[in-house]
Amino acid sequence: MSERRSTALKFPSVEWFRALQELVNEDEEFRRLGSIDAVMGIKVGERVFVINFEAFECTEVTEGTEYDLIDADFYLEMTVEQWQDLVTNTRENNGADLSHTLNTLDLMIEGGISDNATGDQLRADVFFRVNQSLQHFFDSSARLETVFE
Amino acid sequence: MATVESRTAYWEQAKEQGFDLSWLEKLREHVAGEGVEEQSANDTGRVQGSIPRGDVARFGAYTFRTKSEVWAHNLTKLYEEFITRQWSSATDIPWETIQPLPDDIEAAQCQLATFFTQVEFIASDVPGRFISTMSPDYQEVRLALLAQVMDESRHLDVFRKRALANGGGLMRMIDSVSDVVGGSTDNAREFTEFSSRLHITGEGNVLTLFRLGEMMAYNEAEKAIYRRCAQDEARHVAIGVLHLRYMNEFAPERRDEIHCYLDEGESRQATGAGGENPAGQSQLTSGALAMLLGGGKDKVDEGQKILMAIRQRQTKEYFQRLKSAGFDDRIHNGRVNPALLEQYKAAA
Repeated sequence: MSERRSTALKFPSVEWFRALQELVNEDEEFRRLGSIDAVMGIKVGERVFVINFEAFECTEVTEGTEYDLIDADFYLEMTVEQWQDLVTNTRENNGADLSHTLNTLDLMIEGGISDNATGDQLRADVFFRVNQSLQHFFDSSARLETVFE
Repeated sequence: MATVESRTAYWEQAKEQGFDLSWLEKLREHVAGEGVEEQSANDTGRVQGSIPRGDVARFGAYTFRTKSEVWAHNLTKLYEEFITRQWSSATDIPWETIQPLPDDIEAAQCQLATFFTQVEFIASDVPGRFISTMSPDYQEVRLALLAQVMDESRHLDVFRKRALANGGGLMRMIDSVSDVVGGSTDNAREFTEFSSRLHITGEGNVLTLFRLGEMMAYNEAEKAIYRRCAQDEARHVAIGVLHLRYMNEFAPERRDEIHCYLDEGESRQATGAGGENPAGQSQLTSGALAMLLGGGKDKVDEGQKILMAIRQRQTKEYFQRLKSAGFDDRIHNGRVNPALLEQYKAAA
């Protein structure tokens, strides 16, 4: 990851995810990983964010409600503490270390962190199909100054 | 340089001199139909949508020329994903990060790499057979399978390279020579039989193993291999789920037949019969897997505990794919393999 952005952003917030959106949209490496058509839900404690990817871009970040997760291909759910641990680890290691990748967290946290809200595994499998793009998205947060609520 | 006027004059003169150019008009009239024929009369290798030509030898004689035998919705979109997410074992794997490993770890890595090389050989060989026997009118299916073969070739290549990269070399082949982790793939003669065995049972299970890969990797090269392969494998699973979903909707008379394929796959998945599921129990490859996950030959028990959790995960995802495809009735009507059902309940 290259240079860090100096303005502190609060996690979780729309602004924080939009900063990631900006970073990956101007990142050649993200594009090189391939196209990604997915609607990803993020559940941080009680808060829900919806992130859209189309072709080679992250196109939209919004805050939503649990009902919005029904329309997501998959959503990632962890406790506030687990998310903070992920963001902190990513920042400290300039990208998630092995025990904090999305894939490892999904395998090792009981019940996993990724699922489709309606139990449709075809859509849940999108998490696996574009996993390295998603990892790159979150790894980009190493370039953000993050503060927690 | 030729101008529009001079070209027009050229063709007009040619027509006056007896050349019949009326077939050119057909190009204007002909627009490839969006629909795909239920029955394909194409025996000649004519590419989908092109203008037929008479008196061509029927060299195709395709076995699969009925849409409901092979079709799945949305494969074009999936194919786009296939081609934009390609990678290379030569340029995308940081081979320089591989350092000498303890003998037991290196041997276990090489045993698994041998296993995956063998599995990917079958997974590239068998789809190729079906591509060549399918009417060209079902181009979407052909393209998706061709892209799969491209993926599997890369896997075949990258695991072979890993086995040879650090002094271990290729190890013993698994007992079965025709299967892909739960599916008797090489014996399939029918497309849905093939897809059920390879895409749903086989690739679904291999996907979980590849996902596990980064946890049993000992360097960045191995992590990169498994991470990239997992993405590829998930696309192959999608081909199967989309096909079974189509079959459930448009060929319900074949549902019981498909359940039979699933019966067989589940049995092998649960017992590890044939030795082709490293996440199964008491297999050559499951020993290697447990050693890598645990961190050495003296920590196999710890690795086995992780494996147990992974087996549950494998089963949960398989059950949810049955639901996505419309075949989850077997979970509730007593047909599903009882050992898998037990794992599923434990994972829920």
